[in-house]
Amino acid sequence: MKPDKQPHSAPSDREEPARVNRREFVSSAVAAGLAAAGAGAAGTASARQAAGDAQAPGALPPTAAQEAMESEIPDGYTAGQAREYFVSNPGSDFMLDVIRRLGLEYIATNPGSSFRGLQESIVNYGGNQAPELLTCVHEEQAVAMAHGYYKVNGKPMGVLCHGTVGLQHAAMAVYNAWCDRAPMMLLAGNHLDAAERRAGVEWSHSAQDCVRVIRDYIKWDDMPVSLQHYAESMARGLKIAMTPPAGPVAVVLDGHLQEAEAGEQDLGPIAVSLNRPPAGDEAAVAEAARMLLEAESPVIVADLMARDQEGVERLVALAEALQAPVVNQFGRMNFPNTHYLSQGATAVAQADVVLGLELFDVWGVINTVRDRVHRDSVRKARPDARVISIGSNDLFTKSNYQNFQRFYPSDLSIAGDAQATLPLLTEAVLSGMSPARRAGNSAREARLREAHSLARGQALDDARYGWNAIPVSTARLYAELWQVAKDRDWALVSDDGAQSRWARRLWPIDRHYRYIGRSGGAGLGYGAPAAVGAALAHRPEGRFAINVQKDGDMMYTPGAFWTAAYHGIPLLTVTHNNQGYHQEYMHLQRMAARRQRGIESSWRVGNELRNPDIDLAGIARATGVWAEGPVLDPADLGPALARAAEVVDGGEPAFVDVRCQPR
Amino acid sequence: MSARARIARPPDLVVPVLLLWALGSPPAWSDEPANDVREGLALYISQQCWQCHGYEGQGGVAGVRLAPTRLPYEAFARLVRFTNLMPAYSPKVLGDEQLRLIYAYVRSIPEPPALEEIPELDFD
Ligand code: HEC
Ligand SMILES: Cc1ncc(C[n+]2csc(CCOP(=O)(O)OP(=O)(O)O)c2C)c(N)n1
Ligand SMILES: [Mg+2]
Repeated sequence: MKPDKQPHSAPSDREEPARVNRREFVSSAVAAGLAAAGAGAAGTASARQAAGDAQAPGALPPTAAQEAMESEIPDGYTAGQAREYFVSNPGSDFMLDVIRRLGLEYIATNPGSSFRGLQESIVNYGGNQAPELLTCVHEEQAVAMAHGYYKVNGKPMGVLCHGTVGLQHAAMAVYNAWCDRAPMMLLAGNHLDAAERRAGVEWSHSAQDCVRVIRDYIKWDDMPVSLQHYAESMARGLKIAMTPPAGPVAVVLDGHLQEAEAGEQDLGPIAVSLNRPPAGDEAAVAEAARMLLEAESPVIVADLMARDQEGVERLVALAEALQAPVVNQFGRMNFPNTHYLSQGATAVAQADVVLGLELFDVWGVINTVRDRVHRDSVRKARPDARVISIGSNDLFTKSNYQNFQRFYPSDLSIAGDAQATLPLLTEAVLSGMSPARRAGNSAREARLREAHSLARGQALDDARYGWNAIPVSTARLYAELWQVAKDRDWALVSDDGAQSRWARRLWPIDRHYRYIGRSGGAGLGYGAPAAVGAALAHRPEGRFAINVQKDGDMMYTPGAFWTAAYHGIPLLTVTHNNQGYHQEYMHLQRMAARRQRGIESSWRVGNELRNPDIDLAGIARATGVWAEGPVLDPADLGPALARAAEVVDGGEPAFVDVRCQPR
Repeated sequence: MSARARIARPPDLVVPVLLLWALGSPPAWSDEPANDVREGLALYISQQCWQCHGYEGQGGVAGVRLAPTRLPYEAFARLVRFTNLMPAYSPKVLGDEQLRLIYAYVRSIPEPPALEEIPELDFD
């Protein structure tokens, strides 16, 4: 572990009370930082580094000579020569001080000269600790790692991208984060002053407006022209990113500002200053409580709702007060599937009042568009069902990308953060509940317990079908995985949508951290890196992170596994390898059937990932990850998973390729 | 390898099926399947029923469970032609005779083991 660096002896003018000595590490502020602001418990630096592993990607403390060089004219140099050759107080050191004060623990990056100044500050001046650089082999991977990391511990990560090309690579993953409301600090290198640019590549990697390529799907950005401007924009950016609806922001780091002398800078006013999430209007909440209490069969539907376990508990409290079923759409882990009030989506069909909490798609809960020649809309809910919607969607939105879904005129719309609003609503429900309504609760409870237990029995029964099928059924994949998960403090860091939702149906998902939700924008290349980022967030808690990895998705960003190996991030990856872009097979089939052409011989074209078969385990192994497979026979799966789990217990990533049924 | 995977199958069954099938084995029938079952399996693969219903008709998010079916042929066929969520198969791409063979295959898919025989599904 790197010893704490001694504060530099600073010139006296830096010691004026109004000024903060920028050389002083703001460690107390960092520790207090985000934790104090309610963003979750502070994590620790890499376990490897703490263990003093010589191979760990850390950096040495500055030597005495380095320190001297920073503050003195070196022997044999005139002052003029020294100015020509050396910088004693580079702007990027101050940039790093700001990052530290804001409490960013990690910066995922793929290196680029447009931020070489900041990179040097991070590794030498900052000793590569808080923030620590995470070496990524693609910017899309870096952003998805930040996305997964945030969803586990609620902390924003920094992502440092090369000018132009780096942001271009990052773009799709930024879009996923935007759709999924995952905040992060995107930091992009750029060299604004054309008169200073080195010939060639520095021009290609600079832009007048480099954030433009992602501006449609970030919340805010700035291109600071001074270090003070940068400091304020960083603090402002963090605040905006974390305010519901949360999302990415970007700050451009000008190359000149990074590399030139910082001069005197003031870190004093820079601090983490986050908004408390907005709760819904009191009168509206009271009206919602009345509607829910008057309803015969209220149903709660939650999607991008719970930020943490507190959110889950708040929803349990409301649901129990009402004895109302909860349909968890699993954009977040909102509600324990082990609770008897957890019910399937069909519960909505019976509802007379639907309470939607942070729904990605309100319209889609009530209606559906049929995938037919004429795409008619069909109402799924009762014709008389009324809808209350509580969410932050309308508090911030943009127009170009259409992820906001179809418009639905809710009967009562409450703009506000649902998790923040829930306690008020529960209180209003409890205080407004008539004795008659309360008396009816036990009958509701009995009915819903029965329905829950029936559904549970049905899931277990359904899982039997195809049990011995070759390739492995998706139910069996999860049942076998459960054997290694059940005695560990597990967390699923992937979405089970393509595996017929078997985790949700079979596994007891009882805590917020057990399930991560989906990608947001359905942009592929998300799975592996988001899982690695999430596993990094689980690491200090000693949790056993599991990633069920689709084969197509993996091929966009397989380099994420190298990052996991390099940084010693324990993660069990098991593939749902159906040897193709299966979703697209089904679309092709639909088109061919509609046109009455059939696809007997053409179904593979454009969709198969076979001939040659991709050796996914080989890819993982080549990135330094322990790997086995392909497993074809379900009887071989359990032992392979047990071997892999042991590797993960040892603190390393492991990978098992499993050839599976398509869905 | 499980015993099942090692069972040698008659070449005339294995070869055409494996050519069509991505990679895997047909269901573990206890008896030698009749010709219409074999042909039905080949059609079940080539007509892409497996995409949504799984190779053994086990179903999932993309298509309901088909096997074992309690539907009589007429009802089965009607649901394939006049569907709700599934792509409708017209007789132009899937003739009645072919559909009948697919039905024979679906009917032949053996019952899976009982819940009590699967310790991995014991979640208590
Ligand atoms: C693109 C996906 C898809 C494909 C391909 C597909 N199905 Fe389906 N199938 C479905 C879905 C979804 C349903 C659910 C019922 C519905 O249509 O609403 C279904 C329902 C059925 C049903 C009704 C089952 C019941 O018990 O209600 C039958 C029978 C059926 N499919 C047979 C077939 C056959 C035979 C094939 C191949 C010729 C086939 N399907 C191909 C998606 C598919
Ligand atoms: C970047 C991107 N490209 C293409 C698609 C379209 N697409 C949606 S699902 C899918 C298939 C993905 O294959 P895989 O990840 O193996 O999942 P499978 O459907 O086979 O289970 C594709 C190509 C997409 N969503 N994102
Ligand atoms: Mg696939």
